[in-house]
Amino acid sequence: MSLLQVRDVTRRFGGLVAVDDVSFDVHEGQIKAIIGPNGAGKTTLFNVVTAFDRPDGGTVTFDGVDLTGSRPHRIVSSGIARTFQNTQLFDEMTARENVMAGAHAVTKAGFLATALRLPWTVREEREVAKEAGRLIRLVGLDEWEDVPAADMPHGLRRLLEIARALASRPRMLLLDEPAAGLNTAETTALGEALYRIRDEGATIVIVEHDMGLVMEVSDEIVVLDQGRKIAEGPPRLIQKDPSVIAAYLGEEDVDEL
Amino acid sequence: MRERIDMRLVVAAVLGLTVVAAVAGLPFFTSERYILRVFTFAGVNVIIITGMALLFGYAGQVSLGHAAFFGVGAYASAFVVTQLGWPWIGGVIVAIVLTATGGLLLALPSLRLKGHYLAMATLAFGEIMRVVFTEARTVTGGPDGLSGIPYPSLGPLAFDSASASYWLVWAVAGITLLLAANLVRSRAGRAMRALHGSELGATACGIDITGIKVRVFVISASFAGLAGALYAHVVGFISPSTFSLHVSVLLVAMAVLGGTSSLLGPVIAAVLLTLIPFSDAVIPGLSRSALETIQEWQEDIYGLTIIAVMIFMPGGIGGLLRRIGTGRSAER
Repeated sequence: MSLLQVRDVTRRFGGLVAVDDVSFDVHEGQIKAIIGPNGAGKTTLFNVVTAFDRPDGGTVTFDGVDLTGSRPHRIVSSGIARTFQNTQLFDEMTARENVMAGAHAVTKAGFLATALRLPWTVREEREVAKEAGRLIRLVGLDEWEDVPAADMPHGLRRLLEIARALASRPRMLLLDEPAAGLNTAETTALGEALYRIRDEGATIVIVEHDMGLVMEVSDEIVVLDQGRKIAEGPPRLIQKDPSVIAAYLGEEDVDEL
Repeated sequence: MRERIDMRLVVAAVLGLTVVAAVAGLPFFTSERYILRVFTFAGVNVIIITGMALLFGYAGQVSLGHAAFFGVGAYASAFVVTQLGWPWIGGVIVAIVLTATGGLLLALPSLRLKGHYLAMATLAFGEIMRVVFTEARTVTGGPDGLSGIPYPSLGPLAFDSASASYWLVWAVAGITLLLAANLVRSRAGRAMRALHGSELGATACGIDITGIKVRVFVISASFAGLAGALYAHVVGFISPSTFSLHVSVLLVAMAVLGGTSSLLGPVIAAVLLTLIPFSDAVIPGLSRSALETIQEWQEDIYGLTIIAVMIFMPGGIGGLLRRIGTGRSAER
């Protein structure tokens, strides 16, 4: 059975149908990409899956549980973590603190227990710090551990946001345009990080503009155009799909397809 | 690398102990009631500002109504002790419970508001409470206030001298600071700073941002209530003017001057701004007319402080301390 089932999801904004009756599955251990021209509805679909937005119709089921209508902060506990197209880091906090905040959903220490510095909260804190250090190394940010996020270069901030998402020990990781604004070397590093993350057992869904990265890393691709799913399949077939090529005509990405 | 960190810890420990010793030892250096009184007020403000630092400096929420919580605590404790004959500790508990409940009732609807709207809601709360303090005569004594409030006492232990009440207030301030310091260095503190940094990012981490805001608001309200229960009994007299809007503004000035993500900064700011109208307590030989000028202009000094900090030192005292601590030059 598939890990994530998106069924007939529709989302309208006034007269605009941003996502129009879209269905697809994501299987455990896959890297699945969602691509499409600007305004195709990728980010809206993403927000619906992570409960940051509610669909007007359709359902999202994760591991057999219906997520439609959940509160967004609850989604993490069900095993889905996400990043944002515009990174949403905590600028005043160091890289390590950012990743430690990502472990919020899998830790317990509350206000009273921490104010009283109960021994188990100190132990939990130590474990969280250790795990944060490991994740920072996993995405290759060892040297930035104690640097405030605000002082980090853009490309590394994206990697940091991924490390923070991983801190919740997600079964599925959703990345919204992780390669946007990255240079070639940073994009290569990102691709390698994605393989390492998948090898640790996480399923990855990625919304991306960078065709090179998408064709390279993804097992399967969903193509959206004007809110509709126009194609789905492995990269090699998608590259040759006439409707996909038509949708991208006039777009700069067409050369890379 | 490791040795440098250890050195820094040693320096911090020595500095910390010196400060604690200086604060605790003040009554041995001076027996002048006036000076002890002024520093007792500073201690009361430190308790309030500790809660404000959590709310404003860590969670990024503005309250213009904290003087009202301070007042609710003061009147509640004064009332149950003078009118119902309860022991002082009962007054403290009533003050905390009442202000925590008040904080919860105010927070639930208004924390769905953001920025200016939250500020407006808390401002309105402060004004409503000011009217209540003036009009609910049977409880508050009206505009004349309540007098003859007995000194704090715990069983046979009465804090009936200037130095005893000074120690009591600063001991409580020390405890609240310790609790707050534990909090900010933990998962809860990270959640507060996270929602300040990015509400979307915090939500994606599984942080219930409304839940955290409500908790911090309740904590800061009850710290102000606790401070009120100390103030009423240490001074022995309270009236509505002690808890008016200008006190709320003074508290915001302390929080802004103190800086974000810092406890020490706001504490220093609270002590400094408390001392301004009582400058003669720390500057011997300050002429009477100079002091009167300062007192006349004190609101303006507070207002200018807020503006100047916003423009020239957005990190406040806390930011300054961090730069010294990490040895980074004044960048950003």
